[in-house]
Amino acid sequence: MNIDLLPLIALREGEEGLIHFISGGYGLISRLASMGIAPGTQVTVLRNSGGPLLLLTNGTRIAIGKGQSSKIMVCKLKIKKETKPNEGKK
Amino acid sequence: MRGKNKLLVALAGQPNVGKSTVFNILTGLSQHVGNWPGKTVEKKEGFFISGDTEIKIVDLPGTYSLTAFSEEERVARDFVIKEQPGVIILITNAAALERSLYLLSELLLLGSPVVLGLNMIDVAQEQGIQIDVEALKNFLGIPVVPLVATKNKGLKELISGAVSLVKGELSYNLSLPRVSPDHKEVFDDLLEKVKEHIPQSYPVHWVVTKLMEGDPEVLDMLKKFLPAEKWEKVESLLLKHEDSQLAIVAGRYDWIEDAIRASVSQFKRGQILLTDRLDQVLTRPVFGIPILLGILGIVFVLTYGLGSPLQGLLEWLINSFARWIDPFLYSASAWIRGIIIDGIIGGAGTVLTFLPILLIFFAAMAFLEDVGYMARAAFVMDRFMHIIGLHGKSFLPIFLGFGCNVPAVLGARIIESERAKILTILLTPFVPCTARLAVLALVAAAVFGSSGAIVSWSLVALNILALGIAGMLVSRFFLKGQKMPFIMELPLYHRPNPKTICVVVWNRLKAFIKRAGTVILGFSVFIWIISNIPGATIEESLLGWMGLLIEPLGEPLGLDWKMIVALLGSFVAKENTIAMLGVLYGVGEEGLRNVLPNVMSHASALSFLVVMMLFIPCAATVAVMKQEIGSWKWFLFSFVLMFIVSFGSGLVAYRLALLLGI
Repeated sequence: MNIDLLPLIALREGEEGLIHFISGGYGLISRLASMGIAPGTQVTVLRNSGGPLLLLTNGTRIAIGKGQSSKIMVCKLKIKKETKPNEGKK
Repeated sequence: MRGKNKLLVALAGQPNVGKSTVFNILTGLSQHVGNWPGKTVEKKEGFFISGDTEIKIVDLPGTYSLTAFSEEERVARDFVIKEQPGVIILITNAAALERSLYLLSELLLLGSPVVLGLNMIDVAQEQGIQIDVEALKNFLGIPVVPLVATKNKGLKELISGAVSLVKGELSYNLSLPRVSPDHKEVFDDLLEKVKEHIPQSYPVHWVVTKLMEGDPEVLDMLKKFLPAEKWEKVESLLLKHEDSQLAIVAGRYDWIEDAIRASVSQFKRGQILLTDRLDQVLTRPVFGIPILLGILGIVFVLTYGLGSPLQGLLEWLINSFARWIDPFLYSASAWIRGIIIDGIIGGAGTVLTFLPILLIFFAAMAFLEDVGYMARAAFVMDRFMHIIGLHGKSFLPIFLGFGCNVPAVLGARIIESERAKILTILLTPFVPCTARLAVLALVAAAVFGSSGAIVSWSLVALNILALGIAGMLVSRFFLKGQKMPFIMELPLYHRPNPKTICVVVWNRLKAFIKRAGTVILGFSVFIWIISNIPGATIEESLLGWMGLLIEPLGEPLGLDWKMIVALLGSFVAKENTIAMLGVLYGVGEEGLRNVLPNVMSHASALSFLVVMMLFIPCAATVAVMKQEIGSWKWFLFSFVLMFIVSFGSGLVAYRLALLLGI
């Protein structure tokens, strides 16, 4: 079975994804890791309307440019009905 | 008891964890703000006495990690490695503990003992996050102290924890993050190869970790210290394990997860936070952008509505002071009197009358920053900032320029990328500051009468347009290079903290006052002297001759030598332009409104105003630009750029005005 991987930017507002890998250099990967975005973490897209994305991960809200968010590959998680935007927790 | 114990404490923490609140409470008035030697990174330090121990607290730059990614991070890690502080106090955000612990995973490797301050415990509890402090302490093996810094809770315990730790009264039994198991062998292999060559002050585990992460600075260092054949082996080992950076990151994440699992329980209460509710509106472009414009409009109305009368009052005070002191100076030579009355009081004094306006503007901006709104402004402005080759983070410093360009240039420090920082600094002078707006309003009203307001607004719009075009061109053709990522945390909204706001406002005002007292004061005196020697009138002075000499340059723009001299004088400080015009046309400031319409044609006045608005910024701004840019190349580039833009626009404006018969 293969998993469908999408760039983060393809997720719509309110959708959640599990990060699989980040294709980027030393700088991007360590920067994202230090802010809580790394392979294995779960993110919720709060805002994706043409400009930068707004993500929620483990209680932290992070704005991230379009260019960077197309380098983050995620696997989309099924949305549970009761998902609230403040619950980025596993 | 004499001979106090001394202790050096480094205060570390990621942004938005309340670190500056902790620092301000602990050090209070003893704090000293300067720069890290040779760096354009702010260094804050202060003292705190605890029992018989005198503690020097150095506030490390707020960074998310300790890579070589930004100057701040390099400063922070170099300090810990080279100065070996007795204790590092790490402030964390209890409501976002996972993220906060990432910095801890890096700090622990640096060797200095760490005390963890678990801040915002109250915010975490509100969100249903319960942290078992004992369990966290046991897992990490370091002292953990819960805090509510905004209410001054727990700080005493934090400090006494640090002191007892140094005295060896507390247990310290580190659990360190490990590289993920599949890379353990590589790690040990590298460790074996490099350990005997590492300079003594560097902790071996840290160096190997950074090596595997691909840290450019550590790579360079090892290349220098390792014998060639060993370096080759290390290099090939790293090449073979290209994914070792991820292994390090994964190791840290596993460690953090274990810590969280051991100590944090979350009761999902399903409540929607205030932040989420506000962000629903404020980060959505359709609402966010109009709201941003509205808020900024209110800031301006507040600034000028309250500030202008206060400025008038200050002006009156300063003039009264000049009149009061005048008789005392009769006995002194005309020179001393001239320098004091016209040079110092008239020049530097006028600049100081802008303080109330700046105070209100900066207070409003600091308020918006402190409650967390400016990060949202950066978020919604990001798409527009891309047009000029920047991203959202540059919005705040550029907008500060409407107050005064000096703190705006200094504000560009928040931008990590060198390229974006330089571009931001290059563009800042296109933002019309309060001083230029004052000159604009006065001259436009005098010359254009009832259409003065339209002229003023058009010229402000022209400045923004020039900023946009300059940004587009410079970023496309001169400052090319890799686009830097836009990654920014949007903090939780919170109640404003008056103390934090005051500190920010004070620091920005201080930058302005310091310049007024040094650069502007010096130039005011200098301009007074060259406008008074060798003859007594401006026509027969050095300044007058300079004006006459370059008058041909102004001719195509419809500028006579007096206007040119006024522009040259505006270099000292833009607000001096009015006083200069008064002197040049021999009318004093009060008569300017009556005289200007007779001596300036509409077209000339328009051209003059366009050049004034876009001309090389004031001496104070130029001084900080040089300091912050660092390189002569870009500094001179900005000079040439401003000159060409202002001269060219003036020319176009003049010709157009003549053509249209304005």
